[in-house]
Amino acid sequence: MAKKNFSNKYIFIYSAVLVVVAALILTVVSVSLKPMQTKNQQAEQKQMILKTIGVEATRDNAAELYAKHITEATTDNGLTYYTFNGGDIIPLKGTGLWGPIWGYMALDADGKVIGAIFDHKGETPGLGGEIATDKFAQRFIGKTMAGGPIYLKKNADKNNPFEVDAISGGTMTSNGVTAMLQTAYENYFDIISIAPVTQ
Amino acid sequence: MKNFDLIKLPFSKNNPILVQVLGVCSCLAVTAQLKPAVVMALSVTVVVVLANVIISLLRNTIPPRIRIIVQLVVVSTLVVLVDQVLKAYVYDVSKQLSVFVGLIITNCIVMGRLEAFAMVQKPWASFLDGLGNGLGYSVILIALGFVRELLGSGTLWGYPVMEKLGLYGIGYENNGLMIMPPMALILVGLIIWWHRSKNKDLCE
Repeated sequence: MAKKNFSNKYIFIYSAVLVVVAALILTVVSVSLKPMQTKNQQAEQKQMILKTIGVEATRDNAAELYAKHITEATTDNGLTYYTFNGGDIIPLKGTGLWGPIWGYMALDADGKVIGAIFDHKGETPGLGGEIATDKFAQRFIGKTMAGGPIYLKKNADKNNPFEVDAISGGTMTSNGVTAMLQTAYENYFDIISIAPVTQ
Repeated sequence: MKNFDLIKLPFSKNNPILVQVLGVCSCLAVTAQLKPAVVMALSVTVVVVLANVIISLLRNTIPPRIRIIVQLVVVSTLVVLVDQVLKAYVYDVSKQLSVFVGLIITNCIVMGRLEAFAMVQKPWASFLDGLGNGLGYSVILIALGFVRELLGSGTLWGYPVMEKLGLYGIGYENNGLMIMPPMALILVGLIIWWHRSKNKDLCE
């Protein structure tokens, strides 16, 4: 590197200009791409909700199918949930290891799980990130929220309607999912049927 | 140094992971499966190439006392930019990337190439150097992702290879250790061992 002498003034101006240019570029890009990103996110949310009741939607026809199958509703204490022909879909929100995790769970009239889906902001791929896979979501089908929340456990008992296999290598995320289900159970207690469990 | 060497050397004799031992943290964290490993490899390659060229163009104007800060600003701007564009145009890929974005900024290979190469070389040479190092990093990442996903989860790119081969039927079990980060470290160690035994001149 050639030994040039840069004055303090130069350094201050240089860094100020650099940072302003970087900020400008990022602002322009962020503002101009925002509408497309929001659209993608909304479509994805609709796709997720539809998937819990077994309707596969693409990002393009999600809005249309959503309008056809899903009605939005509000609980007595002001929380949003969704209804479909055959039951309710409750939203799930919680915290994983690195950031937020969320999902939706479709329950039939008896509180039995018809379908579930999970997603995350930044869980470790291959470990906690596995909650976003179909394979994980399918473990919930046939379990029940009625009479107590579902929880994740190592080597879960397949016949226990409240136990679901946790993710190996993803203990912290699995604990987050358990906590999230507990919260949802408390918040949506009134719409989850409390009929006695029949196995 | 010949231009071709700039691409070739980072593959073997000067591999960023095997020889310089840079970028190991991301190499351990994202290789539990093949797909994120490939996405990460591509993203790092893109960022290191662009950052190298930009820093090389600016190199004579950058005051040495604040060069690391300048490099960081360039790298983080690029990474955020890439993330924003992906979120708008290829949403699915951006979901795959999510956690890696932060990792790219802190990837030692990017900073290492900027500091050691782009600060003193012309843009074209810096472009080739970035490409070579990005690909040298990619090769190791993809190899690790391949082995770890195949032996740890029994799948490749999500396709259930072991199940289709019918190995579970005859008592085969996935190796749970393979999906844990420590196993990646052991695998990298084995690759370095093999690499050194082939290249005796690298041994100290």
